[in-house]
Amino acid sequence: MRVPVTPPLQILLASTLAFACAVVQGVVALKSGVWKQGNTRFVLMGCGFLLQTGFIYLRGQDVGQCPMKTLPDILVFIAWSIVLLYFLVGSAFRLSLLGAFTAPLVSVMQIMAMAGGFAAYPPKGKINALIELHAAVALIAYAAFALACVTGVMYLVQERMLKRHQIGGLFYQLPPIQGLALAIQRLVRLGLLLLSISLGTSFALHTPVSNPKLVFSWVVWGLYAVITVLMWRHFTSPRRTAWLAVIGFILPFISLWIVTHA
Amino acid sequence: MPEPTDNSSGLVCVGLNYKTTPVEVRERLAFPEAQVPLAVEQVRGLPGFEESVVLSTCNRVELYAAHSLPSGHHGHAALRDYLIARFELQPEHAEAMVLYNLDADEAARHLFRVVSGLDSMVLGETEIFGQVKSAYKTALATGSTARTLNKLFQQAFTVGKKVRNDTMIQRGSTSVGSVAVDLAEKVHDLKECRVMLVGAGEMSRTCAQSLLSRGAKSVIVSNRSYEKAVELAAEMKGTAIKFDEWEHALHEVDVIISSTSAPHFVIKPEQIEQVMRRRRWEPLLLIDIAVPRDVDPSVNDIEGVYLYDIDALQNIADDGRRERERQLAACERIIEEQLEKFGYLKPPGASQAGLLVS
Repeated sequence: MRVPVTPPLQILLASTLAFACAVVQGVVALKSGVWKQGNTRFVLMGCGFLLQTGFIYLRGQDVGQCPMKTLPDILVFIAWSIVLLYFLVGSAFRLSLLGAFTAPLVSVMQIMAMAGGFAAYPPKGKINALIELHAAVALIAYAAFALACVTGVMYLVQERMLKRHQIGGLFYQLPPIQGLALAIQRLVRLGLLLLSISLGTSFALHTPVSNPKLVFSWVVWGLYAVITVLMWRHFTSPRRTAWLAVIGFILPFISLWIVTHA
Repeated sequence: MPEPTDNSSGLVCVGLNYKTTPVEVRERLAFPEAQVPLAVEQVRGLPGFEESVVLSTCNRVELYAAHSLPSGHHGHAALRDYLIARFELQPEHAEAMVLYNLDADEAARHLFRVVSGLDSMVLGETEIFGQVKSAYKTALATGSTARTLNKLFQQAFTVGKKVRNDTMIQRGSTSVGSVAVDLAEKVHDLKECRVMLVGAGEMSRTCAQSLLSRGAKSVIVSNRSYEKAVELAAEMKGTAIKFDEWEHALHEVDVIISSTSAPHFVIKPEQIEQVMRRRRWEPLLLIDIAVPRDVDPSVNDIEGVYLYDIDALQNIADDGRRERERQLAACERIIEEQLEKFGYLKPPGASQAGLLVS
């Protein structure tokens, strides 16, 4: 059996540094009030993403499977998915500031992952593609929920400034609250769809219903299904929906820790 | 970095603006747009003149020229005489005409400040950039520019962009109308934004026109005098409704601008609560320009409703003006750096041309 080797942490460290630089650049730009749609942030996020991808690839090589077994691995994978979704939806929703709000979350997740350490685990004898797909799609769904949470924070900040007549600084940089509300809805729907696909594949895997990972995944699915229905039927205001998207993400985040330690 | 060269020899600017000359004199000295090409050629055709650009807007008339006369004073005098002759000014009017006479680095500095919006009535406004560009293009098309003015104007556009990009001189709103637009833009996608005017006062008309000029989708006008509502709606290509119907149309709009002369609140929380339910919590911006106020302030407590009265709007506009004034020093610094970089500043010790007013 091949002995697993810890992949070069320097790659992940460099990726985290790139995201941290994007955070600093964003904070400096927001504080100075001169927010440009320049390439610097995009390049920093792109570098961080490429390094993340390299780290996940090497880690996958080492453990002989898609690295999603331990909490640090999961955190890195979700962080990677968040950045991927940021590149996909950020421009689609014209949310230029999303990167500035996403970079801190991604940096924190990767710092937490590095602090936890990357334990070696034996490679799988035979890889079941369906299991890998099930896990990967679930984690990308969690990334969509994370991005909905970030967008929710942006909404709440902008809404507060509008309500309190605090016009200046960040106010001019943030998108209209109507657009942010729409982005939250779409991200929650996307996450729910991906999680549904992931849970759908679990039926084909004959996983015991009592499996804690599955139980928590269904709980998360239930929570976001409720949020989706509330949004769809307009039972709550966009502000409450934004709060739900922000607070709601706590559950999947905690569930990650529980399922990896169960 | 390339060595700076002296770009300013033979460069002059003679002009007047809203600071030096009242509007009744400015309008007499303004060049109609169609006559600017001819004026540019006339200035270039003056003895000793080689290049010219004529900038004529509602706030300023300025002649930029490159000449080979013995001194800047000769250039100023020739341009002044041209203006007097061109507009057939009587001696008393000519005597009363206050012009600024700039040459060399002062002329370049002035143009850089004009292009950057620092010399405008509304500090940091952007319209002047386009106006200068248009004046330069007209001169270029008539073949009235060459090395000196081509360089100067290209550099001025670079400086104007740099000032706007590197500072916050154009950020924020400085008028009630532009504050209304900024607010509407942060609540809705302006292209989908439907506006309702309750009352057809002058300021609400200004706000609505600002919103329409920035792409608002439609406007509904309701006024106690239906004829006035129809007239205003026609002017803004909108729809007029009778004053007793405006409540029924509330849920169809995204921005309400209220300016009635009613002595009591016209828009009350219970009405807006109903509207918000019908709107399914789509955000609603209320701009209350009336004094006494038309909208009960407690409306702002309703979820998804954002209420701004005239004081709130005025405060935001004042903040915007103060913010721009705070940016002035940074803008001037950039202009000085660029003047040095482009070789307009004379070496230390050499005499500087000053602002001469005749």
